[in-house]
Amino acid sequence: MDSIEIEFLAEKAPVTIVPNFTHDKLYLISGDVGPFTAGLPVDIPLWLGINLRQRGKCRLVAPEWMDVEKLTEIKEEEKQSKVFTQMPCEHYLIVTQLLLSSAPEDIPNAQQIKTLVKDIWDLRISKLRSSVAEFIESEGTHATLDRLTLLEINSVRPFLPHAFDQLHRISKSAHGSNLSQTTQDIQY
Amino acid sequence: MSDNEEDIIEGSDEEGEAMTASEVLQKLEEAWITERMSPTLEKHQSELVDCMLDQINQMSENLKRCKKYDFRLAIHKMEIDRIRYVLSSYLRVRLEKIERFAHHLLEKQTNLSNEDLSILSPQEAAYAKDYASSLEAHFQNLVLQHVPENLRTFDRGKMSVKPNLDSYVFLKVKQATPGVLLEDDTGEGRDEEVDFKEGSQYLMRYKPIMELLQSGAVTLI
Repeated sequence: MDSIEIEFLAEKAPVTIVPNFTHDKLYLISGDVGPFTAGLPVDIPLWLGINLRQRGKCRLVAPEWMDVEKLTEIKEEEKQSKVFTQMPCEHYLIVTQLLLSSAPEDIPNAQQIKTLVKDIWDLRISKLRSSVAEFIESEGTHATLDRLTLLEINSVRPFLPHAFDQLHRISKSAHGSNLSQTTQDIQY
Repeated sequence: MSDNEEDIIEGSDEEGEAMTASEVLQKLEEAWITERMSPTLEKHQSELVDCMLDQINQMSENLKRCKKYDFRLAIHKMEIDRIRYVLSSYLRVRLEKIERFAHHLLEKQTNLSNEDLSILSPQEAAYAKDYASSLEAHFQNLVLQHVPENLRTFDRGKMSVKPNLDSYVFLKVKQATPGVLLEDDTGEGRDEEVDFKEGSQYLMRYKPIMELLQSGAVTLI
């Protein structure tokens, strides 16, 4: 999958905004949003939040986890733990990037948060890479990827599944199975 | 526009439950991701597609009545664009697969016992037929009619490309399913059983989870 498609999916995540206008409920196909009352926080999809922010109609509120103290904790935990820890948000990296690029002045300690989130991402990706190597050496037939987020999984695509396709093909033909039929892989 | 609030659409699932527009959209998005990630063509979801098309057409009609500077206009348009993106990406990825596996899919289509089991929607089936026959006509015109007669036969079976069902895919479990059997077809006799826990994510071959995917117990990611 393209990272743009994952960004598209991440844009459905809810975000809290404080509108500077008052308006009735909006009846969107994907569900109702609002009502909006000036000064009162309300949860809306991220894509809408960013749009309203760009039009100067609201202030974005940082999600609860987007906080220097909390992120430092998460980073430490990720460093200590051998396995992947649970992220506070499925699309933590994308949400951070989107919020920080559209409204850096709405997020307290934006710079620090950016660094922390990047650190967490780097830690997890290097963990993922070493576990991939371990996994291939173990010659397993399947892998569990609990608590990995979509973007992280996507970072090993198409390389990892494709490597397994080939390994499987080799072990299959090594045991005399017939592979005369043409099959074709689709690579993303 | 406020009448959309009560829009309940006839459901397409077996229980005949009615679904709201947002549930249909959710299902469509899932079908889109699954189709994007699946090595083969999944069953068509024409009901979902048609339903969403109706929704965006209806919404576009409603928007025409809106004043030009209505605050809601831009938001609704943006949402329509987002849905349209999912729809077109979904249909496009299906067409790509139909072209790639045209002969294989048509063969499957002719062996069908029941229309309802068809993987292709009626329009897609027509497209696949057209595609296969123009391809064949093209080969005829371009090469086959110019070569010696004994080489002119065109073997569809040899042309047919099959999807690789042994492809590895990433999946997420939606309904806990104990004892999923991963058969070892390499002849080493290492069959394995895995208990699928809800919310877990795996990387494994497509074939063993094909049925779970159709029943909706897992989705591809």
